[in-house]
Amino acid sequence: MNSPARAVSPLPSPTTARATLERVAANLSLAVQGKDKEVRLAVTCVAAGGHLLLEDVPGVGKTTLVEAIARSFALSFSRVQFTADLMPADILGAQVFHAQSATFNFRPGPIFRQLVLADELNRAPPRTQSALLEAMAQGQVSLDGATHVLPRPFTVVATQNPVDFSGTYPLPDSQLDRFLMRLSLGHPAPEVEARLLTTRDTSSPVEALQAVTSPEELAELRMQVAAQRLDDTVAEYVVRLAQATRSHGDIERGASTRAVLALGMAARAHALWEARDFVTPGDVRAVMGPCLAHRLLLRSANQGAYTRDEATHLLEEVSRKVPAPR
Amino acid sequence: MTRPNRLRLILRDLGTGAAFASMAVSGQLPIWALGLFAVALVVALTGRRPFSRLPRLTAVLLVPLAGALYLAVASGRMDLVVAACSFAGLVAGQRLLSETSPSTDGQVLLAGLLMVAGGAALSGELFFAVCLMAFAVLASLSLGLAVVEAAVPVGEPVPVREVMRPLAKGTLFALLGAVAFFILFPRLNWNVGARRASPGLGTATSGFSDTVRLGGSGTLKSNPRVVLRATLAPDPGTEQLGAYWLGRTYDTFDGQEWSTIGAPKKRSRTRVTLRPGADKQVYQKVELLPAYGSRTLIALETPSKLGNALVHTSTGTRRTQLQELGGDELRFVVEGLGYSYEVYSVPPGTDTDPGKLEQLEHDQLLALPDNLDPRVTELARQVLGDEKDPLTAANKLSSWLQREYTYTLELGGDVTDPLTEFLFARKAGHCEHFATALTLLLRSQGFQARLATGFFGGERIGDEYILRAGDAHAWTHVLVPGRGFVTVDATPPAFRANQSLELLESLVSIYEAIESAWRSSVVDYSFRDQMNFVRDLTRPPRAPGDKKRLDLPPMRAWVTAVLVGVAVYQAWRYLSRRKPRTKALEATRFVDAVERQLAAVGVKPRDGETLEDVSARLTREAHPLAPAVSPLTRRYLEARFGQRALQPGESAQLLKGLKLAIAALPPEEKHQQKARA
Repeated sequence: MNSPARAVSPLPSPTTARATLERVAANLSLAVQGKDKEVRLAVTCVAAGGHLLLEDVPGVGKTTLVEAIARSFALSFSRVQFTADLMPADILGAQVFHAQSATFNFRPGPIFRQLVLADELNRAPPRTQSALLEAMAQGQVSLDGATHVLPRPFTVVATQNPVDFSGTYPLPDSQLDRFLMRLSLGHPAPEVEARLLTTRDTSSPVEALQAVTSPEELAELRMQVAAQRLDDTVAEYVVRLAQATRSHGDIERGASTRAVLALGMAARAHALWEARDFVTPGDVRAVMGPCLAHRLLLRSANQGAYTRDEATHLLEEVSRKVPAPR
Repeated sequence: MTRPNRLRLILRDLGTGAAFASMAVSGQLPIWALGLFAVALVVALTGRRPFSRLPRLTAVLLVPLAGALYLAVASGRMDLVVAACSFAGLVAGQRLLSETSPSTDGQVLLAGLLMVAGGAALSGELFFAVCLMAFAVLASLSLGLAVVEAAVPVGEPVPVREVMRPLAKGTLFALLGAVAFFILFPRLNWNVGARRASPGLGTATSGFSDTVRLGGSGTLKSNPRVVLRATLAPDPGTEQLGAYWLGRTYDTFDGQEWSTIGAPKKRSRTRVTLRPGADKQVYQKVELLPAYGSRTLIALETPSKLGNALVHTSTGTRRTQLQELGGDELRFVVEGLGYSYEVYSVPPGTDTDPGKLEQLEHDQLLALPDNLDPRVTELARQVLGDEKDPLTAANKLSSWLQREYTYTLELGGDVTDPLTEFLFARKAGHCEHFATALTLLLRSQGFQARLATGFFGGERIGDEYILRAGDAHAWTHVLVPGRGFVTVDATPPAFRANQSLELLESLVSIYEAIESAWRSSVVDYSFRDQMNFVRDLTRPPRAPGDKKRLDLPPMRAWVTAVLVGVAVYQAWRYLSRRKPRTKALEATRFVDAVERQLAAVGVKPRDGETLEDVSARLTREAHPLAPAVSPLTRRYLEARFGQRALQPGESAQLLKGLKLAIAALPPEEKHQQKARA
């Protein structure tokens, strides 16, 4: 590795960062075919240091995508299947009594991984959900007075089914707000599906994936993202977009300040795709839907996927109406 | 209160004030209404709205005011239009003190609009125009701010730059509308108000009274105030008319005073015929100004028919009747500030019928005062000898008087026998002395004569002739058998017209000229005048006998059209240069230029797309221009958002590159793009 160069310039250049992102995206596309846009957004989300909510019907490759991300970045990975009887201790870990030393030792739960897949998050009781979400927000776990720091980089990808609500505990809005983006993969295009049928052999596509980068590089990427320049006019634009959602007639509750920050961060990460070290209004618009759609409370009584579509639609309208700085 | 809100209210209140002022400049509103509105405006401008809690209840306060106005109208002390205008002002005042919300601005400004209409009805003069403009500007600004206020949520900053442009546009349109309202449309004012007097230079007097008293002292002849304005048809076209304008005549002299024995006729009429008309009568449209200060009609000698009299009072203009008094005097029945009427006069030198004179009146034309000094008769005999022809005798006497006596305005005060004093002691006097002397000298020799008073002169200003107070004059009518009364003037010709200071006179004349031009071209510029103007401009004049008719408009129409076009173009250029330029960033100007070039070949942003989006779209569509546009876009984005400003000349170079790329497009591609656009 070229560590001397890094000592001089601790950040990779935007061009390097872009190469990394492209590499990861290409790698992921091997596992999840025909979903380039979603894959790129997912990589953007991870690069921005945010948590990702995948909302989709079962069987479209959510888990595959997450596992592929873990492999591509060479992150330690755990998958927790959320069920109605899942307890906080099941994910966070617990104090275990050691008979030999007659002491309680902390046995870390599955959350102590760099990438945690919380599958079907809304099936767990709120208590468990909030334990996870607290860990997501704080980057640490507090248990019995002791604080256990989670590994870095730390990312949670949660999935939920937007159609089947029976026996679920829908996430409160305040907790949805903690996810940087919400994505849905959707069904692949027919030709992609056909190709899957013909080419897919017995081995899982994920298992064939090689790591194309490292957790260290991901950490550097995140530093690079944080260092991206956000011009005053663009910042103003972000705020105006958020204000437009707040004053929109069909939106009960618009974007929060946390949403504004998230939008800014995601836009910073998005700028790397163009190897830029500054954010443009186009970056903001590109990530606006995934960043804000799940944070809006709409006036209409639609549910599930319909709400999602409507929110996306309203956000498109807002981004058309609010003039971008020139 | 938020700042824009406060600003909007101030603008709205000032606009209402301007609307009120547009009525107030007519000077006809009652002073108490003026005061009430002024108080309301001042209170409102200081930001206090004492009525805002009970806007409905305080509206009840308007009821007694309406009652007061009604009483004033019913008692004839106030015109209905003036009362309506005053009430509109009071309503606006109540609204000012009670309403603050943008949604009710319409009410306040509607009251303002009513007041402007009232102002048009009352005066429509230059000051009204100024107030109208002010109202248009202030009202449109405040309405614009109300829209902004409604659109911007509380606590959020007003997007000033976005607002300024449409606001300025709206204001400009309102201003243009106001100008059009004032200039292009026929005058709305119905001349309800009194005619404006000339500048105050002494009290209104023309020296007219029931009697003429010799002696005393007068400054009348030096008064340059304009008392009469007349248009003549046919127009004599001379600068100085030098004509006798008759007011009334006198037949009885008691040694000190002239009076008339003729009894006033009981019945008043709208039209009076004094004597039969003749060929070539002179038509006069006469306007008596407030400086005149008397009710006697004045007409060019010798009037035959008078009528169509209007009286202008403080409560409006209306028709008035004429009352015939003795001595050919006609008076308006109603007293007013000013009058206008029409007269037909027989031109001087025409034989006239003296009218039916009763025997008593005939005798009176020879009557001498009881205490007449015998020297007077002796003097007349010496001068005239045995002259038998009345006109020759009169001319002889008058030239003798002009030769032997001097004219003076310095008078010796009251004396018991002013005529003897004039003829034998001072040998100096003014027109009344000369005229009285001539009349009595003629009578002493058995010639019938009478004294006439009125004005002498007529100074051309514009298309009109004016008379000044100083033009007041007295002269003699000699009754010549078969010819009627003939005018003979004993006063030296140099002293007949007014003798006011030349400087003062020219100042008044300048004012008169300006006012006359203002009246004819603005205030009284009617729809008919507009049509005439346009017709004169476009219809080629046809010389009499010239049958050839051009189909094209005349040269002057073309010239005017070109001049107007040039003026409009220059004004547009000036305005577009003066337009407040937003401090456009170099990068913003650059992106504008790029978008213009792209639009020329049909690549236009759709639905709020920025150049960034357009570039991405072109790349996606594999457009032939994409390779040229995307580096440009990238450079623009860097310059705009990445703090790497464009170098001097760089944008020109980049644009050149784009131009080349566009030029290199295959022609069918260009065509296709344009067709798609």
